[in-house]
Amino acid sequence: MSDVVLKVDRLNKSYGQQLVLKDLTFAVEEGQIVALLGRNGAGKTTTIRSLMGLIEPDSGEINLLGYSPQKDPIEIRKRIGYLAEDQQMYGWMTVIETIQFVSAFYDTWDHTLVQRLLQQFDLPIATKVKALSKGQNIRLGLLLALAHHPQMVIFDDPVLGLDPIMRKEFNRDMITHLQAENCTVLYSSHLLYEVEPIADIVMILHEGRILRQAPTEELKENVKRIIFSSGTAPLGNKKMRVIDAQQWEHQLALTVDNFQQIEPDLELRGIEHEVQDLSLDEIFEAYIIGRPELPFNHPEPVEA
Amino acid sequence: MFLRIEKGSAVPISRQISSQITALCLSEQLQPGDKLPSVRELARELAVNQNTILRVYEKLNAEGILDKRHGAGTYVADSPPLRQLKEQREHFYEEFQQLVRHGLSLGLSRKELQQMLEAALKSEADSVTAAT
Repeated sequence: MSDVVLKVDRLNKSYGQQLVLKDLTFAVEEGQIVALLGRNGAGKTTTIRSLMGLIEPDSGEINLLGYSPQKDPIEIRKRIGYLAEDQQMYGWMTVIETIQFVSAFYDTWDHTLVQRLLQQFDLPIATKVKALSKGQNIRLGLLLALAHHPQMVIFDDPVLGLDPIMRKEFNRDMITHLQAENCTVLYSSHLLYEVEPIADIVMILHEGRILRQAPTEELKENVKRIIFSSGTAPLGNKKMRVIDAQQWEHQLALTVDNFQQIEPDLELRGIEHEVQDLSLDEIFEAYIIGRPELPFNHPEPVEA
Repeated sequence: MFLRIEKGSAVPISRQISSQITALCLSEQLQPGDKLPSVRELARELAVNQNTILRVYEKLNAEGILDKRHGAGTYVADSPPLRQLKEQREHFYEEFQQLVRHGLSLGLSRKELQQMLEAALKSEADSVTAAT
């Protein structure tokens, strides 16, 4: 187990009548790449802005690298590389002016790294920020977020608005510039198929709380759809953690999130079934809009 | 080494990579003693998490397909697991027999089936020539 670098404990935040974060609790370990997944309005940006000390939660605790973002926002800023959703920079400054301007805020600014990144990112230094393409803009934001050697980076939906080729480049940058340096990454996204190859851990955020946090591959091995044909009895729901149930005339399809645990039982009891692998999109959908209630007229489940 | 990642697939990324490397070894496109890219290089090339590549290399090392030499990189094992190849070939032969039975049950003649096999082999040979 690595060290915990971020601990969020029972965070609550509401805007007027609307409760946006509800007892939000999670932890992130050093060196992990963690993807925060959720629909629009799930609370992703509110979570991230709370971590950066830009929002005051109503209650709850955040410990980020040993600091409270609300009490020590400056310490957080020194140690975190942050890329906001729709990062705003001064359009009238050139790329190099922007870099010089931002560098003045950091003691740990690495000019050599900046030179290297400028080349790798193919950024035109004399161009005004307002004339940069969307992709160049994000790469400039990434450069600014990395140049002070942060211990951790936090990105709010960084690939939003990037084309598929730029997204792949961005993913590659995360692997080569961040993971290779053992930098912890927390980023939000709703492009699940882009997250899957990159993230060590995925967190599914829904209505202000984490529905599931798990290593990406473990989630894929555990969340499966099991098809029982009519007349066969599924294991009881004490054993199976069903997150979605669908019934057709001759089939019962149960999506479970503890497949590895129940597979030996299904085999042992000789219960006839077919197992379907699910894509991350399907897994996400099952958690968010799945209905776990068993429909009527299903065969009696086998209890222990 | 050409590997293709299908994003958004139900098949986990690590399984996609390990089955493709295994297939390359069994078809001898990767030869015993060939050096594989380092974990970092392959992660960068595929834009895939380094830990995923590491898990794939470790799994294939445990299966005897790859040989992780400490500090010197990862190579295709000198003695690829022939038992596994034999099993896969037997499995293929069973599937092939079923396919033939299926064809016969659809009323295809022996001659037609032979022509199909010839045509399939020919198009495969053509595509290989085209690719090289």
